Amino acid sequence: MKPSQFQHHAPEQIDEVVGLLAEYGDDAKVLAGGQSLIPMMALRMAAYPHLVDIARVASLSTISASAGAVRVGAMVRQSRAERDASVAKVPLLAKAIPHIGHFQIRSRGTVGGSIAHADPASELPAVALALDARIEATGPGGVRHIDASEFFLSTWQTALDDGEILSAVEFPLWGANSGFAVEEIARRKGDFALIGALAGVTLDGARVARACITMIGVGSTPIRCHDAEAALIAGGADTDLDDIGRIAAAPLTPADDVHASAEYRQHVSPAIVRRALTAALKEARS
Amino acid sequence: MNDRTRVQLTVNGQREQVEVEPRALLADVLRDQLGLTGTHLACEHGVCGACTVLIDGEAARSCLVFAVQAEGASVTTVEGLTPPDGLSPVQEAMRDCHGLQCGFCTPGIVVSMTAYLDTHPNPTDAELRDAMSGNLCRCTGYQGILAAARQAADRMSASS
Amino acid sequence: MSSPVASRFVGSAVHRKEDRRLLTGHGQYVADASAPRMVHAAFLRSDVAKARLNSVNIEAAKAAPGVVAVFLWSDFHEKFGEAWHAMLGQELVVPPPLAITDVRYVGDPIALVVATSRALAEDACGLIEVEYEPEQATVDYATAAADSNVVHAAWGLPSNVMVAVPFTPMSADLDETFGSVEHVVETTIVQNRYLCVPMETRGVLASWTPGLEELDLIVATQSVHETRNFFARYLGLDEGAVRVTARDVGGGFGQKMFVFREECAVVLATKLLGRPVKWIEDRLENLISAGHSRNELGHVRMAISADGVIEAITVDHVADVGAYTPCPAVMDPTLLPGPYRIPRLGFSTQMVWTNTMGKAAYRGPWMFETTAREMAIDVAARQIGMDPAELRRRNLLSLPELPFTSPGGKVFQEITPLETLEQALGMLGYDEFRKEQAAAREQGRWLGVGICVYVEPTSMEQSTLGTEGATIRIESSGKVVAFLSTTSHGQSIETTMAQIIADDLGVSYDDVTVVQADTQSTPYGPGTGGSRTAVIAGGAAHDAAVAVRDKVLGIAAHMMEAAPEDLEIAEGVVAVRGTPDRSLTIKEVATQAYTNAHTLPVEMAGGLEATIRFKPKRFPTWSNATHVCVVEIDPDTFIPRILRYIVSEDCGKMINPQVVEGQIFGGVVQGLGGVLYEDFRYDQDGNPQTTTFLDYLLPTTGEAPKIEIGHIESVSTTNPGGFKGMGEGGAIGAHAAVANAVGDALAHLGVNVTSTPLGPEQIFQLVQATKKERA
Repeated sequence: MKPSQFQHHAPEQIDEVVGLLAEYGDDAKVLAGGQSLIPMMALRMAAYPHLVDIARVASLSTISASAGAVRVGAMVRQSRAERDASVAKVPLLAKAIPHIGHFQIRSRGTVGGSIAHADPASELPAVALALDARIEATGPGGVRHIDASEFFLSTWQTALDDGEILSAVEFPLWGANSGFAVEEIARRKGDFALIGALAGVTLDGARVARACITMIGVGSTPIRCHDAEAALIAGGADTDLDDIGRIAAAPLTPADDVHASAEYRQHVSPAIVRRALTAALKEARS
Repeated sequence: MNDRTRVQLTVNGQREQVEVEPRALLADVLRDQLGLTGTHLACEHGVCGACTVLIDGEAARSCLVFAVQAEGASVTTVEGLTPPDGLSPVQEAMRDCHGLQCGFCTPGIVVSMTAYLDTHPNPTDAELRDAMSGNLCRCTGYQGILAAARQAADRMSASS
Repeated sequence: MSSPVASRFVGSAVHRKEDRRLLTGHGQYVADASAPRMVHAAFLRSDVAKARLNSVNIEAAKAAPGVVAVFLWSDFHEKFGEAWHAMLGQELVVPPPLAITDVRYVGDPIALVVATSRALAEDACGLIEVEYEPEQATVDYATAAADSNVVHAAWGLPSNVMVAVPFTPMSADLDETFGSVEHVVETTIVQNRYLCVPMETRGVLASWTPGLEELDLIVATQSVHETRNFFARYLGLDEGAVRVTARDVGGGFGQKMFVFREECAVVLATKLLGRPVKWIEDRLENLISAGHSRNELGHVRMAISADGVIEAITVDHVADVGAYTPCPAVMDPTLLPGPYRIPRLGFSTQMVWTNTMGKAAYRGPWMFETTAREMAIDVAARQIGMDPAELRRRNLLSLPELPFTSPGGKVFQEITPLETLEQALGMLGYDEFRKEQAAAREQGRWLGVGICVYVEPTSMEQSTLGTEGATIRIESSGKVVAFLSTTSHGQSIETTMAQIIADDLGVSYDDVTVVQADTQSTPYGPGTGGSRTAVIAGGAAHDAAVAVRDKVLGIAAHMMEAAPEDLEIAEGVVAVRGTPDRSLTIKEVATQAYTNAHTLPVEMAGGLEATIRFKPKRFPTWSNATHVCVVEIDPDTFIPRILRYIVSEDCGKMINPQVVEGQIFGGVVQGLGGVLYEDFRYDQDGNPQTTTFLDYLLPTTGEAPKIEIGHIESVSTTNPGGFKGMGEGGAIGAHAAVANAVGDALAHLGVNVTSTPLGPEQIFQLVQATKKERA
C-alpha cells in the first residue's frame, strides 16, 4: 500500500502555487496537511503526477481576528486552531475540531484542507456552512470570496475553479447570548459521523434571534436546515425541539452505506438535531 | 519521475540527510533508510496509530506524512524517547501495567501517550480514554494501556 | 530425588522479559529484517469473486522500472511438491500459490511481482492486464449447499458442500423427550463474519542461497517447526536445510498458525531467483485474504421441563468455509451441551464453500457451540418466562458432582461452572441490577444483562498438539538458557516459562533466558495456539528443569561429599539442608560440570543440560468461565454501550496473574468487537465492503469497557503445575454475553435477539421490525 510516484513542489509564495496549478492543471493537486489525501493515494484511489505542497507558504498559516470575523489561513493546522485564542471566539469551530479524527491527525490536518476536501461527513465544512463563512479563493485572477452556501457542490466537489486554491476561510463572529453545539453519532470515538448536527442559537430573552442548524452524513454535502431554523426562530426558545428535529429531518435524503442505512439516518436525525439544539440553547442561556 | 529529493531533518536529536523519492512516506524512510525500525506500519492509511512519531513535538502518523514534508523538521521516534539507561516513565508504566503483549502497536502507544501527557499533565480517566483512542491494539483489550496512562500521568505530575 | 522447592516466581506478576525490547522499539519483527540483495514482492489479486482468466498480460509490468520478475502460475507449476500440514493432515492441501485458470474470491492471487522496492512492485501490479470472464458468484452460505453455481466447478465438484454430517442423535430417546417435555424452544442463532486482525500483518523474508542450498525463512508465524516441515516437503529438502525463525510476531490469534499460499509463492520466488524475497502484506490484503472466521449458523432446539430442567439440546449447524480454507476449524458439536447437566444431544453439521475468503482459525475456533447454546438459553428463558440466570443455575454442573460424562462423551472434571456463575453474579449484584433495570425501563432507558457460561477444551491431543519439548542448560557461568518449542506473539512465554524454570532450579528469574521460535536450536513443537502453552510447554519446562536440577544436586553432592537428598537449592546456592555454611553456588557447580568434568565419577558425564518432552496425563485440560455483561442502548440512536463487564474464570493455578488477566482482557475485547463493531461484509456479487480500518471497525479505548475479573482456582491434575489453558476463553465467552445483554435490553420491547452483529443499524432494524409486527 504505497502511493504512486509524483513530483513534489514546495513553493513559498501563493503566486507560485497558483502558477504551478495553472501549469499542471488536472495533473496537480494541492497538498496541505495530507490527512485525507495521503491515505487515498496510499490506497491508490487517487494519483496525481504533481503535488503542490503549500506548507511553506507563510501567508497561508496566519490567523487574524477582526471586529466581525476570524480569518483562518488555509494551512493553519487543526491542532493549532484548537488552542488558538482567536479561534476560541468562534465557538462552533472550536467545538467541532476535537471531533476530527484523533489528536495525531489534527496535528497535521488543516482547517482549509478539510473544507476544500468537502467530505460530507466532515465537521469543518459543516461549520463553514452553519456560520455562513466566506471562503477565500486565490487564483490566476486574484482573490475572490465564495459564500459557504455556494461552496459545497457534492462529495469532494466545491465551487473552486480549476487553478484556484482555497487560501483562507472567514468565520463570522456571533454576538452575546449565543450557544453552539456539535452532536454526532459515530460507530467509534474519532470515526466519521454516521450522522451529525451542528447548531448555533442567539437568544434575546425567550426569543431566538438567530439560529443555524447544519447536518452532516445525510447527503452529498453538509445540509443547512433552513426550515427548521425558521421554525425555531418563529417558535422561540421553548419550542418543542422534537418538532424542530422532525422539520429538519423531513427533507433529508440520506444514502445507505456499510455502517448505516438511509432509513436509520432518517430515523435518528430528529433526535440528533434536538440534542444539538438542547445543548446550544443551554449554553446560550448560561 | 523517479527523481530523488534531498531531505534534511533531525531525528532523535541527530541531523540526518536522506535522498528520497517524493512518494516515500516518513515511516518508510525512518525504517528503511535510517534503520529505526521501532516505528511500525500496521495499516498505512492513518487509522491504527502504530507509526506515530513526534514531528516538531506533536504526535503524528508517519504513514500520513511524505518525507519531503518533513524537510527541516525535528522527528522523535520511540527509540528517541528511551533514556540512555532504563525506561521513560511512560515505558515503565506500560511495563508495570502489562500494557503490551505482542508489542506491535506499542511504539505508537508510547509515543502518543508521551505526547498527550506532556501537554495534559492532569488528565481524567475519561480524557485518557479519549486521548488513547487513536491507537489500535489487538492484544490487551486496552486495560493495561489505560492503567499505564493513569500511572504515568500520576507519577509525571507528582515529580514535576 | 528432587524435592519440591518453594514457589517464588510462579504466581507473581513479575516484569515481562519481552517488554524492554518491545517498549524501546527493538522488537525483531519480520518487517524489520533485511538481507543482502533483498527484493520486494507484491501480489496482483483478483477483483472479481468468480471468473475465468481469459488472459493475463504481464509484458508492461516486466518492463517497468525496478522489476526483477513477474511470476504467474505457469512459472511455479511443477516447481513444488507436497503442500500439507502435519496438524491438519494430508487431505487438506494448501491451494496453489497463484490462480491457475480461474479465480474464486476477491483477493485470489493471480501474479507475483518482485521488484527492488514494494512501491515499484505495486506500480508494476497496476500495469498487468487481466481479462476476466465473470461468472455468478456464490456468496450466501446459508443457501450455498443448494446453489447450482458451484465454487469449485473447475475441480469437477458437484456441489458447494465440503462436509456434511447428517443428523446424529447421541441419545436413543431424543425424539420422545422432545415429544414429552413442557417446553420446546427452537431458534436459529447466526454469528457474523469477523477476523483475527493481528496488528502485524502476514509477512515473510525468504532467502534461498544457491550453492549453500539452504532455505532461510523469517516469517510471522505461530509455528516455526510446522512451517519448516511444510517447506521441507514443499521443496523436497531435508528439514535440516530449512531454517525458520520468528523472534517477534505481532499477534496471531490463529491467523498465523498455518502456511498460506502467498508464503508458498514467495518461497518459490526466492528459489527461482536465488536471492532473498520479502513480502510484507498490507492491511488491505490482510483484511480480504488472510483468512476469515466465524460466519456460521445453528438451528438449535431445546427440550425443557416444567421446572426448568434442560432435558435435551440439538443443533443443525452450517458453516461457511469460503473458497479455500486455510483451517476449516468449526464447532465440535459434542461440546454443544457445554458445562450443563444436559443428558441428551443430537446434531448435524455442514461446511459449505462460497466465493469468499476462506475460513481460518480464530481464537476459540470451537466457540460456536458456546455462542449457539448460550444465546439459545436466553431465547428459552424469554420464552418460558424464567430468569436466564436461574435457568442456567438449575442446569449447570458444579465441582462436587464431577466427574460428569456428557452425552457427547466428554468427561468433565476439575471445573467450576456453577461456582463461576455465582461469583460473577455476585460481583455484579445481579438481583440489585434487575431492580435497577426495572426502574430504568420506567424512565425509558434500555438496560440489559447478558450471561455466558462455557467450558473450554485446552491442551488437546489432536495430531501434533499433544506434546512439547524443552531443553534447559545451565551454562558455565551459572546462568540458565531454556530452549522451548514455542513461538511467542503476545503470550508472554519468555516470562512465564522463566518463572517456572527459576522456581524449579532455585535460581533467580533474572538469570533465565528463554530462546524460542528458531528451528535450528529449539525442540520440535506444533507452535503456540490452542490454549496449550502453560500446560504442555509448562510441563516440559518443569520436567527439564527438574532433570537439570537433579544433575546439579548430583555433582554438588559429589563435590561436597554429601548425599544429594540432603541438599537444597535456593537463590542459586546449593546447601546442605540445616547446615547453610556447607554450600556451593550454582556457578561453582557449573564450573565443575563443564571445566573439570573429567574429575567427576565415571557415571557423571558432566554438563548441566536436559531435553525432555512432556505429555499431559490426559486430554484435554478443561478450563471454564462465566462472563456477565451489562449494556445500555440509547433509545434515540440505538447505540449500545457496555456499562459493566465481569469475568469469573478458573484456569487453575496461575503462573502470572497479570498475564492471565491480560489474556482475558484481550479476548473479551475481540469477542465484544465481533458483536458490536466488527463485521466483514461482502455484497451479493462477492465484493468485499469493509476493506480498510475505517470500515472494519476494531474497538478502541473509547469502546472497550473496564473489565472486572474474579478468579476461582481449581487445580488441574493433568500437569505438574496444576495449570489450565486460558488464552482463548475471553473471546469465546464475550460473544454470547454481549449479544445476550443486548437481547435482554430489548426484551421488554418484544425483540428476540438471535443474530449478530448488533450495531446501531441492526438494533434499529430489530426494533422497527418488532414494532411493525405488533402494530
